Amino acid sequence: MKLRVSPPVFKGRLHDARTATSIGRCLALAFAVCFVTGLVSHFMQHPSGWPADGIPSRPTWGYRLTQGLHVASGIAAVPLLSAKLWTVYPRLFAWPPLRSLRHALERLSIAVLVAGAVFELATGLLNTVQWYPWPFSFVPVHYAVAWLVVGALLLHIAVKAPQIRAHWTRRSSGTLALPARDAPDRRSLLAAVGAAVGAVTLTTVGQSFTPLKDFILFAPRHPDRGPQGLPVNRTAAAAGVGRIADEEYRLVVDGPQPYTLTLEELRALPQHEVELPIACVEGWSKSAHWTGVRVADLLERAGARPDARVRVVSLQLRGGYRVSEMGHEHARDPLTLLALRLNGAELDPDHGYPVRLIAPNRPGVLQTKWVGRLEVLS
Amino acid sequence: MKVTRVLVGAAGAALMGVGLSLLMDVRDPTGVLVWLGGAVVLHDMLIAPLVLLVGLVLVRGRARGPVRGALVVAGALTVVALPALLRPGRTANSSVLPLDYPRNWLIALVAVAAVTALVLAARGLTRRRPPS
Repeated sequence: MKLRVSPPVFKGRLHDARTATSIGRCLALAFAVCFVTGLVSHFMQHPSGWPADGIPSRPTWGYRLTQGLHVASGIAAVPLLSAKLWTVYPRLFAWPPLRSLRHALERLSIAVLVAGAVFELATGLLNTVQWYPWPFSFVPVHYAVAWLVVGALLLHIAVKAPQIRAHWTRRSSGTLALPARDAPDRRSLLAAVGAAVGAVTLTTVGQSFTPLKDFILFAPRHPDRGPQGLPVNRTAAAAGVGRIADEEYRLVVDGPQPYTLTLEELRALPQHEVELPIACVEGWSKSAHWTGVRVADLLERAGARPDARVRVVSLQLRGGYRVSEMGHEHARDPLTLLALRLNGAELDPDHGYPVRLIAPNRPGVLQTKWVGRLEVLS
Repeated sequence: MKVTRVLVGAAGAALMGVGLSLLMDVRDPTGVLVWLGGAVVLHDMLIAPLVLLVGLVLVRGRARGPVRGALVVAGALTVVALPALLRPGRTANSSVLPLDYPRNWLIALVAVAAVTALVLAARGLTRRRPPS
């Protein structure tokens, strides 16, 4: 018996270049926003080399906006990527499978693009619910595959440029060559994909864009849920600090003129109130009123130079992010506080009682809690 | 135009190189490869055929537009909800996944069904209206 291998036949409509172009350009935009905002976060969390000290402390909402966009564009990409892959799925069965070396390379780059794109959206989404079923560590891999995807995407756009151009508008030559009777059906499909993007955005974006918080159905955080109506990532119990006794607490400021303050002394210093957001890379953020002592005042008293970097050390025993560093822009910003109060009340232990750092345009994990030490770096 | 195209393609290949070199440095590259390959296999061999099959069975006739719209929106909402719906184990604290996600998922599906029914009803009314 002779086995005949033949590719499946697709009779369905809309698996065409005009549909692929219409969806593909929105998907490319979502991926571009996701990539750039991801780079912003990567750089702010892993500053290296000379620009490290140049991270600006303004706008105050910078990190909140970029990371809200990062997660929102990733979520919006879920229906866009699904629809794009649906449109081009029959091309998986192109016959013959490999025509030439060039064709083989192109198909390989598409495989990398599809694998990486699905991988990035899946791992990113699972990270927001803090679910890690894979054997590798999330951050470096999500970061590396992002470069792979954006590279493969640029290559894909370059390879397909003639087809993209020929199907860019309804009046483009390639679009006009397609069956005219598909046009209303295509508009209906694109409207459905647009509605899906709107629906997934509306039901999740309230975690960072708080005016829409009443529409949250699927976001892993709610801006009002948590101690003192503010979400937390690491609790006092998880950090191994519990509730720190007032009389045992000391703040050590180490610099040219080092000194130590008790909690009473810290409370007696001039207090300032600022409104700043806590913004997490996982996409949630919320603004709050913080009251405390200006870091700039504490550094002045320690005789620190105006351009000095500062290391902030937590009393926490467990977990990463025990130590964070600030460039002089953040250290000298009048909005940067060692906060003692949140929305008028003492800090909850989970928010860093008795003292936490709060600074403008700074990743949430670097807003060090349970601060025990400030070190002026040369 | 041709030069731009070649430059964009070369830039793409270079960025892929950056990604590959970064991947060389991660601790468990085999695990990453398995998950990357798994993503393609899962999509191309299971999810895509299933979606096409559902489309073949359900998206047909005069109501195909609204029915497809409902399936696309409900499907997208379900995919985005899945991590919250399926995550096993206790969360780090009570502010992580604080909502009743199964209930919210049902609310979303009911809302999609209701909007679709309204659209179909409105279309039925406009169709039946006698020509003036």
